[in-house]
Amino acid sequence: MFLQTLITGLSIGGIYALMAVGYSLVFSVLNFSNFAHGAVIMLGAYVGLALATKLSLGFGLVLAGSVAGAGIIAVLNERLAYSVLRRRKAPSLYLMISAMGCSVFLENLVYATIGSRFYAFPEFFGRQVLTLWGSSVSLLDMGAFLFALVSIFALHVFISSTRTGIAIRAGVSDMTMCSLMGVDLNRLIAIVFLLAGGFAGVAGVFLGIKYLVYPTMGWVTNKAYIAAVIGGLGSLPGALAGGLILGVVETFVSSYVSSVLRDVFSFSLLIAFLVLRPNGLMGQDTEEKV
Amino acid sequence: MRRTGIVLGVLFLLVFAGAGYAADPIRIGHTVSLTGGASMWGQSEANALDMLVKKINAEGGLLGRPIEFVRYDNRNDAVETVNVAKRLVSDGVIAVIGPAQSGNAIASAPVFERGKVPMVVTTATNPYVTIDQRSGKVRPFAFRPCFIDPFQGTVAARFAMTDLGAKRGAILYDVGSDYGQWLSKYFEDAFVAKGGSIVAKEAFRSEELDYRAQLGKMKELNPDVIFIPTSQKEAAMAAKQARDLGIKATLLGTDNWGSPDIIDLGGSAINGGYFVNLTDLADPDIQDFVAEYKAAYGSDPVLPNPVMAQDALLMIVEAVKKAGTTDGDKVAEALANLKDIKVTSGTLTINPEDHNPLDKPAVIQQVDVEGKTFRFVKKYVSVE
Repeated sequence: MFLQTLITGLSIGGIYALMAVGYSLVFSVLNFSNFAHGAVIMLGAYVGLALATKLSLGFGLVLAGSVAGAGIIAVLNERLAYSVLRRRKAPSLYLMISAMGCSVFLENLVYATIGSRFYAFPEFFGRQVLTLWGSSVSLLDMGAFLFALVSIFALHVFISSTRTGIAIRAGVSDMTMCSLMGVDLNRLIAIVFLLAGGFAGVAGVFLGIKYLVYPTMGWVTNKAYIAAVIGGLGSLPGALAGGLILGVVETFVSSYVSSVLRDVFSFSLLIAFLVLRPNGLMGQDTEEKV
Repeated sequence: MRRTGIVLGVLFLLVFAGAGYAADPIRIGHTVSLTGGASMWGQSEANALDMLVKKINAEGGLLGRPIEFVRYDNRNDAVETVNVAKRLVSDGVIAVIGPAQSGNAIASAPVFERGKVPMVVTTATNPYVTIDQRSGKVRPFAFRPCFIDPFQGTVAARFAMTDLGAKRGAILYDVGSDYGQWLSKYFEDAFVAKGGSIVAKEAFRSEELDYRAQLGKMKELNPDVIFIPTSQKEAAMAAKQARDLGIKATLLGTDNWGSPDIIDLGGSAINGGYFVNLTDLADPDIQDFVAEYKAAYGSDPVLPNPVMAQDALLMIVEAVKKAGTTDGDKVAEALANLKDIKVTSGTLTINPEDHNPLDKPAVIQQVDVEGKTFRFVKKYVSVE
């Protein structure tokens, strides 16, 4: 039971981490919580679903299409809803409110155009189950977990060692100085949103396969937000650690205490972190968090 | 010549308008989910009612007057449903069909009672739709043509024990839903009463997606059958997650599973699962209805709502005929005393004590994913 709970917790945590990365990326550069991220994940899932059901594409192409689609949507979202505010040097609270607006808008757009029906992805891998020391894990969960780890690691490498990555890191510490040194800020921010959107696409496809696709599926990102806060908003290793910790802790609470108390516990954890350790486990010092 | 034509036309119009006046329509309310998660059944319900009313009106209507529906979308939302109920009362309808969901029906019942408008729900199976939970007395204006949850829960338990040979049962339910909470209790009571044991009873919160923690706990306890009294969406996700955890237990559900999209949503994981339903497409009693519906709308009806809605309308029609008036009190009294009337699903007698039908059968269906259908397994008339 212990091992099974741990495995289940890690696999849930892997998806939380994938979603938390999107929050952290945007937060690190623009210093606001992009609550439209959940809606982008949802749209990414719909893009993947359309490719899988209408065009009958295989898993690889579906994933690639969804990454590209959600990336473009995230960039457009920034161009239309945030860039004006950003240029006006609006406080980050305004950006956050704009993000909440976008999230409601996008959800309702899907309600109005596609409808409230639930959809499922076709079964790409069948239902194969591995047994490890008496505990079961599905191949899909295993694959999703490894993919999450690898892609977050790749992002980390990209940010710490490529030219663009260095520019992003420079932007994180000082936007104005960065632009004085000749970095094109608009381009930089577009890249950040493209990356965050790409991760949203991956998360959308995995969520869609694991659960279902429907307009409010993005709500699950409130868990990813908690994960990002635990790890420290703005920190990539923090997002990964936060996601895994939250997934495991939640699963243990459900299994050993009570499944109904799980969310009470998660949100208490969020409040505790915001009060006692607002920078999370690995975050850097900043003034605003929410 | 042209003048005569005009005069004739005017005369014709007058006669027509006069005829309309003579037979003022009888207005029956219909509160239904035309949008939202339950819209699939709601749309089909509306279709079936329109089809039937056309037929009744063509045969001379009710008390010599045509029937007209006043239909509002309640979006399967408790607040909206109460608004719809208030609107229907102020519109002066003589009776109401719907709502289909127990929670919404329980919320609407007091409104219709105050307005003295008889309410005949379609598929709301909770006992407290027709009985006031606080006073324990029957609600004078609430009726239904469908079976109730204690019966449904008992049928599920009986089927699990006798047909599936289950001794160890587990339950996964939504703690935020009246429907799921009560059915879990009825299933548990019936299962334990016949010597079975419930090894795990695990809840989740509405809107939650991952049940693996709960299912993982069940897996350790090795149940023969897992009872999942939820809608098709949660059942599909629970089935996938259970199979991913390597759980081999038979899955057993309730009438909320009975939506065709459970096959797409659950895929191979839900294949072979059984559930209790109100009607079955293969039920010999409803073959004429199914054929007629298919001819009119080009697809199978989404059961069981269309059948239950037609039953509800026929109950109202029969009661008004018997009462000879559309007065709310008299129609309610006639509804309470309906006996052996012919309805779409067969015959129907209302028990005046609790306003539920007597001996309403339940069917067991099995999800067949390859055949993309629900296979008829068995019909229960009673569980005595």
